Amino acid sequence: MKIRIIVNGVERELEVEPNELLINVLREKLRLTGTKYGCGIGECGACTVHVNGEPVLSCLTLAVEVDGKEITTIEGLGKDGELDPIQEAFIEEGAVQCGYCTPGFIMTAKALLNEKINPTREEIIDYIKGNLCRCTGYVNIVKAIQKAAEKISQRKSK
Amino acid sequence: MNSNFIGVKTPRKDALAKVTGREKYAYDIYLPGMLYARVLKSPYPHARVKKIDVSRAVEMGAIVITFKDVPDVMFNPRLISTPDTTYKDWRVLTDNPRYIGEPIAAVAAESEELAQRALESIEVEYEVLEPVLDPIEAMEEGKPKIHEKIMLGNREIVVERNIACRLEIQEGDVEEAFRNSDLIIERTFKTNKCYHNQLEPKVAVVNPEPDGGLTIWCTTQSIHNTRLLISEIFSIPVSRINVKRLPIGGSFGSSIQTNIVVPIAVALALKARRPVRLAYTKEEDMYEHSSFQMIFKFKIGVRKDGKLTGGYMENIMDIGAHQIQAYPLLGTCAGWWVSLYKLQAVKYVGVAVYTNKIPACAYRGYGNPQVTWAVETIMDEIAEILNIDPIELRLKNYVGEGDIFWGQGPTVKSIIKSCGVEEILRKGAELIGWKNRPRPGEQKGRFRRGVGMARGYHTSSAGSPIPGQVIDYTGAILKVNEDGSVDYITAMVDQGGGTLEAHAKIIAEELCIPLEKVNIVQADTQTTIYDVCTHASRGVYAGGGAALNAAKQVKKKLLELAARVLDAYPHTLKIRYDKEKKQGVIYVEGADGREITIGELATLARVKNWGTIAAVETYRPPACPPHFTGYFVEVLVDTETGIVKPTRVVIGADVGRVINPDLAEGQLHGGFLMGWSRATIEDLKYSRETGDIECRGFITDYKMPTVMETPTEIQTFFVETFEPTGPFGAKGLGEGAQNPAIAAIANAIYNAIGVRFYELPITPEKILEKLKEKEKIELKIVEGV
Repeated sequence: MKIRIIVNGVERELEVEPNELLINVLREKLRLTGTKYGCGIGECGACTVHVNGEPVLSCLTLAVEVDGKEITTIEGLGKDGELDPIQEAFIEEGAVQCGYCTPGFIMTAKALLNEKINPTREEIIDYIKGNLCRCTGYVNIVKAIQKAAEKISQRKSK
Repeated sequence: MNSNFIGVKTPRKDALAKVTGREKYAYDIYLPGMLYARVLKSPYPHARVKKIDVSRAVEMGAIVITFKDVPDVMFNPRLISTPDTTYKDWRVLTDNPRYIGEPIAAVAAESEELAQRALESIEVEYEVLEPVLDPIEAMEEGKPKIHEKIMLGNREIVVERNIACRLEIQEGDVEEAFRNSDLIIERTFKTNKCYHNQLEPKVAVVNPEPDGGLTIWCTTQSIHNTRLLISEIFSIPVSRINVKRLPIGGSFGSSIQTNIVVPIAVALALKARRPVRLAYTKEEDMYEHSSFQMIFKFKIGVRKDGKLTGGYMENIMDIGAHQIQAYPLLGTCAGWWVSLYKLQAVKYVGVAVYTNKIPACAYRGYGNPQVTWAVETIMDEIAEILNIDPIELRLKNYVGEGDIFWGQGPTVKSIIKSCGVEEILRKGAELIGWKNRPRPGEQKGRFRRGVGMARGYHTSSAGSPIPGQVIDYTGAILKVNEDGSVDYITAMVDQGGGTLEAHAKIIAEELCIPLEKVNIVQADTQTTIYDVCTHASRGVYAGGGAALNAAKQVKKKLLELAARVLDAYPHTLKIRYDKEKKQGVIYVEGADGREITIGELATLARVKNWGTIAAVETYRPPACPPHFTGYFVEVLVDTETGIVKPTRVVIGADVGRVINPDLAEGQLHGGFLMGWSRATIEDLKYSRETGDIECRGFITDYKMPTVMETPTEIQTFFVETFEPTGPFGAKGLGEGAQNPAIAAIANAIYNAIGVRFYELPITPEKILEKLKEKEKIELKIVEGV
């Protein structure tokens, strides 16, 4: 089957199987390996991408379902060679250890901060509860998202 | 001590690639023209393959290998012990599967789908054998034999009563020590089998080279040992195998050994003469590795004044179907015990037993969290019985400065030269409000608060003044580039803790150059000198030691060349970091203007044909200094649901000199949550009917903590000591960051509800059950009155 999708701003026409998953199309056809395979059953959140701005688990999404839609992966974050404030905050707050869960967390956090500029700590925790991390104990990840929210607010008020 | 980089918060170099999705893990490697592999695994815990028919898979165009097609070599996938203490019972593929999930055959095909179809077309006739799932039963006479003959080094040995190996240690007269005791406490503990649950499943991508060699990208904590093992199994010269060093998506011990995907992918690639990718799914990964399960019996003697006298420890370990590091673990468990508190006499009996379960391997702490849980529970009990403050009891008995420390079992020891235990305990007690903690079991009402503490440590490397039974050395290559930047080349793998970042800082500090001028080179076995493995919390201590020595060599050469330019004596020259120039400057003290930057000197060295300034350092850590930690945990127990929540956590650590402050703190955060998980949640339960794990590999049914379990307050502090054998005084951290967590949590639960648990994990169900029992007893007492 043919699908037309926009991935990180670039229009793509792809031939996919009816049972092909979005994660595999991104990783194997487009070599966008920043979207990670962690569990394949929607438990860990490492494969989170945005479809039309909504966070989606690409391991549970058929490629044909996203036909005509716009997809953003971790590689599509940040503009003109500059990092997204969330990416900056993850570096600054020591929220990255092995880094395998990082793209998924950043994409989830991005969706949260798109929805809400100043989430409370409780709202952050509730929003990222579907993403697993085995290294950090989540402490610095929560801090990084809080800091990113501050950065975004500051930049908007400028 | 003034430092430019040591102890200063700096952004880690690899974070940029990680936050932008550009970092390539082994799971992200795809080669042009590669085949996708799948593995056929035993559906029975114990069986023999009578017949296997792969003809349909071959007809489908798949490359197929079975146990008949792999070298007839028995091996141990972990090459850290000396050969004479390495027990071998593995084969790449087997006709005698000994656990559900053991690889029998494998296929490679043009697509993953075709590979899967080919795999499903293979017909196998099994003779199903009786499994043994309990280690105690396994040792009984007449039980099915899991292994008949195995190898110890090059010697064949016969396995009796499923005992894989054993170790006994005796020092002093334990019976006399018990006779001199006022109190003897005897307890039995049972730990849980846990799955590492690192996020990146095990994977290998293998490219066969034209000269018969191989290039390998895989999940590993040791690229050199992977190369040595593949050479050993497939009789390919070491020089023709190149293993790439890659970041790893978590490991926690699960890739100390070469993961089984590697030799399987190698066998397929050699047969196909094409690149092969074998990537396990999460479910397959859970059948690849898990932790050891242990049953401890302790008998500890103590005098009325709280001084411990002697102790006996029995350790029966369920190791699953194959040996990875059972024998060395028997040694380390003894070591973790005797290095916690001083005992005049000790007796230890350790027995490792085969069962038809997933092979067990090291899991962050290598037995230390479990031993510490048991010992720190007993210490808490002794303190209560003798009416001594638990902290004072520990301070009275702990192994500290000047004492001998067993870093990796009985053959790896050194003398402790830096120790911040007392300060950790005093400060931690103050921060948690130790004096105001509840009295155990006195609370009524639904929610009960409890405060518990435990202390612990872990080794930093398996180094020592004498060789011992554990291989531990590493290496660094450092070269100064023509612009004054340096390339740092090491085989050491960074598991995510920031090990290589610490090395870069050590080099920058020693050479007085900006951190951004230290380039951590992408490396592989061909371009690096040997490093044993990133394990035993040795990354910063051992690897950093090598990096520092290489930097010292380079510094000496820089000064020799600078002396020519500055017309001075090399040994009189000084070097400083110039923040404005962002350069290291070599200068003559007191002679104004006689100075040159390292960049200028490196440029000059090229123009003048002085050659490249470079160093190679192979480094044996001289000691195994313990890093110490103390945990103080406050919990809230809901006596209606049995659910426990951590409400406040205070963690203190002595890691010598702190190199990366924010990353070190991150180790403590992660250590707590992993400890929490092992204490209260995780349990790889086996069904006796099926011989399979109950969750069947699905992490929907094998819970690990989400952010919801993170306590709102984790307070961490470092007690800085100076370790004289460590780079800039540094020691390790990764494992000590977690080791006392389980014990502190268990002690906090006791403090809240007055019930002790001797079996992990401490689940809500067990809490409710014990509370009911306790209420019944209390009711009887009341009625009796």
